[in-house]
Amino acid sequence: MKKYWSVARWEYLERVKTKTFLFGLFIFPVIMILFGGLPTLLATRPDTETRVIGVIDQTGSLIESLQKKLDEKYKLPDGQPNYVLRNMTDPRFTTLDELKKYGNEMVANEAITGYLLIGKDLYDSNLVEYRSENVGNIRDIERFSSSIREVVTEKKLIQEGMDPARVKKLSTSIEIKTIKLSKSGGEEESGFGQIFITAYLFIMMLMMLILTSGQILVRSVIEEKSNRIIEILVSSCSATDLMVGKILGLSALGLTQIGFWFLIAAVVTLQSGVALISFSSLPLILVYFLLGYIFYAAIFVAVGAPLTTEQEAQQFTQYLTIILVMPIAFAFVAIQNPEAVWIKVLSFFPLLTPTLMVLRIPISMPPLWEIIGTITVLLASSIFMMWAAGKIFRLGILITGKRPTIGEIVHWLKRA
Amino acid sequence: MLTVSHLRKEYATTVAVDDVSIAVQRKEIFGLLGPNGAGKTTTIRAILNIIEPDNGQILFDGIPYNPGISNRIGYLPEERGLYKKNKLLHTIQYLASLKGIPSRTAAIEGRKWLERFNLQQYIHRKVEELSKGNQQKVQFIVSILHNPDLVILDEPFSGLDPVNQILMKDILMDLRSQGKAIIFSTHQMDQAEKLCDNICVINYGRVVLEGDISEIKKRYGKNSLHIEFDGDGSFLKTMPEFQKADVYQNFAEVQLADHGSVNDILRQLVQRLEIRKFEIMEPSLNSIFIDVVGSKGGKA
Repeated sequence: MKKYWSVARWEYLERVKTKTFLFGLFIFPVIMILFGGLPTLLATRPDTETRVIGVIDQTGSLIESLQKKLDEKYKLPDGQPNYVLRNMTDPRFTTLDELKKYGNEMVANEAITGYLLIGKDLYDSNLVEYRSENVGNIRDIERFSSSIREVVTEKKLIQEGMDPARVKKLSTSIEIKTIKLSKSGGEEESGFGQIFITAYLFIMMLMMLILTSGQILVRSVIEEKSNRIIEILVSSCSATDLMVGKILGLSALGLTQIGFWFLIAAVVTLQSGVALISFSSLPLILVYFLLGYIFYAAIFVAVGAPLTTEQEAQQFTQYLTIILVMPIAFAFVAIQNPEAVWIKVLSFFPLLTPTLMVLRIPISMPPLWEIIGTITVLLASSIFMMWAAGKIFRLGILITGKRPTIGEIVHWLKRA
Repeated sequence: MLTVSHLRKEYATTVAVDDVSIAVQRKEIFGLLGPNGAGKTTTIRAILNIIEPDNGQILFDGIPYNPGISNRIGYLPEERGLYKKNKLLHTIQYLASLKGIPSRTAAIEGRKWLERFNLQQYIHRKVEELSKGNQQKVQFIVSILHNPDLVILDEPFSGLDPVNQILMKDILMDLRSQGKAIIFSTHQMDQAEKLCDNICVINYGRVVLEGDISEIKKRYGKNSLHIEFDGDGSFLKTMPEFQKADVYQNFAEVQLADHGSVNDILRQLVQRLEIRKFEIMEPSLNSIFIDVVGSKGGKA
């Protein structure tokens, strides 16, 4: 067995079994579902109880039609009406202020959820007040608004002299039902969102992979340096074997994690009826993904190997994370105008190449020369980084006391 | 087995090793001696191909280093450490696999050695649950499990209690009789004296003394006096008859100056001390070491 396989096996198996890893594996999706999925789920869930809504109808002619309209449109799953209107006009109260006070009390006593205040001048002002303790229920408000609008329109038409039966026949309420298309053919607009999300998913995966594997890699080197086992390792296998083994093993670890999360995400999205898009440029995206990963992994190795303490490592991974996240900030602008010159220029900067290209390709395929150009630059940078990382790793792993200066590291590279 | 010739290694500001040549044979315990920072570790690291020397040649049975050779070398570094969170047997299997030993063989051999060191009950425990001394024994096991031809041990006795020191000594003697070449690096001269066949003393990166221990001692002649006594022996340090005196609570090793007879000295001592032993002998390696490193070995 090649020695780098032994290293890879060890790094993978010993870490995949740890409680920390397993915990992280499960806790992340749980958190995502709790914080991401649950509120959405609750918000879109249909009501199960009839709500009583008060109405102060100063026109005196709307309440019945409105009740009818609401009954037609909104029903509870068991067939009961979703909203029951309660006429609040009461001979005991003559002024509007008294009525309002009465309504407020009803709301406070939870006899009604809220009440609609329809003024005498509705037909001129087109304004209705909804008064409730909770005015954040956008769905309810939207329903009232559209129903009142329809009722008022019908009434106006009848006033204009139209036959009520005809009005009934002519007025149809239009609702927009959103349909997500799974395979984008001509429907650019509708498919765009999902292509974008898929591209984004790739970028997030790349980032996660780099960060998890990279961080563990730096940590493991520092651990081996601080417990001096590094001397045993490099006297048993070459520094290159050690480096390659670590990258392989920890990449597999990162992939396990991301693969698992991806699987959960896929199951969840399929359950909710959304299909992830698969597009023809996928192989190309994978090329950028892979090269980008190698490039970043090499940076982690090169900068991580000479570090000597956990604190230094933490600082360093923070800096690298910022660089890594930077392209995400560009992403939104890049989507709006993928053909901008500065986006094209930045695409040739190897730190940004993977993210930007993965975003650009699904939106509008860049010209061939750009693809070949960026891949060449990224490939060359990856090879150079790997070479440099190997050199720095070989010397850096033996540094234990003082961290070497940039000058010393440059000296190492020159001597090679 | 191993020949190192004219080894030189420079760091940014210092010359760590300068023109060091040693030869280690099979069936030999070779003492690589020297004070702290003399260049022992650098020499060892060069032999292990951890660092690249600036000059000089290192040959194993006449062949320069190649990746296969690392499987024939076992190394116990001076600064000890193992993976803390991992299980003992797994750690042993991993480190053995880097020496080309399949994990099943490593498990069998590992069990055998753990039993010999009386550690079998820890085999499935995490390394961090072991005491420092026990961890050190595990590291020693790791350095010899793959049955290497050349074993390099840096201070293998430090941190071990007397019982385990004897166990370790017995194993070293066993390894020698099995035909292995052993490099034993230490600055504890009494152990080197008892164990080594040949030694090499390095100071400030240079070889200051080398050869067969008994020959070296002979070279220094029978001018050493071992005295065991009761009483206050501090005056021994200032007696004109002694070139040098190394005085302890009730033991002293002194080197005779050329003048004065031993009988006269004994007569003087008897008047002031209760003498229990008085012996003329070869100097100990310790006193030779102090002599060589302390005076001649000054900065070149």
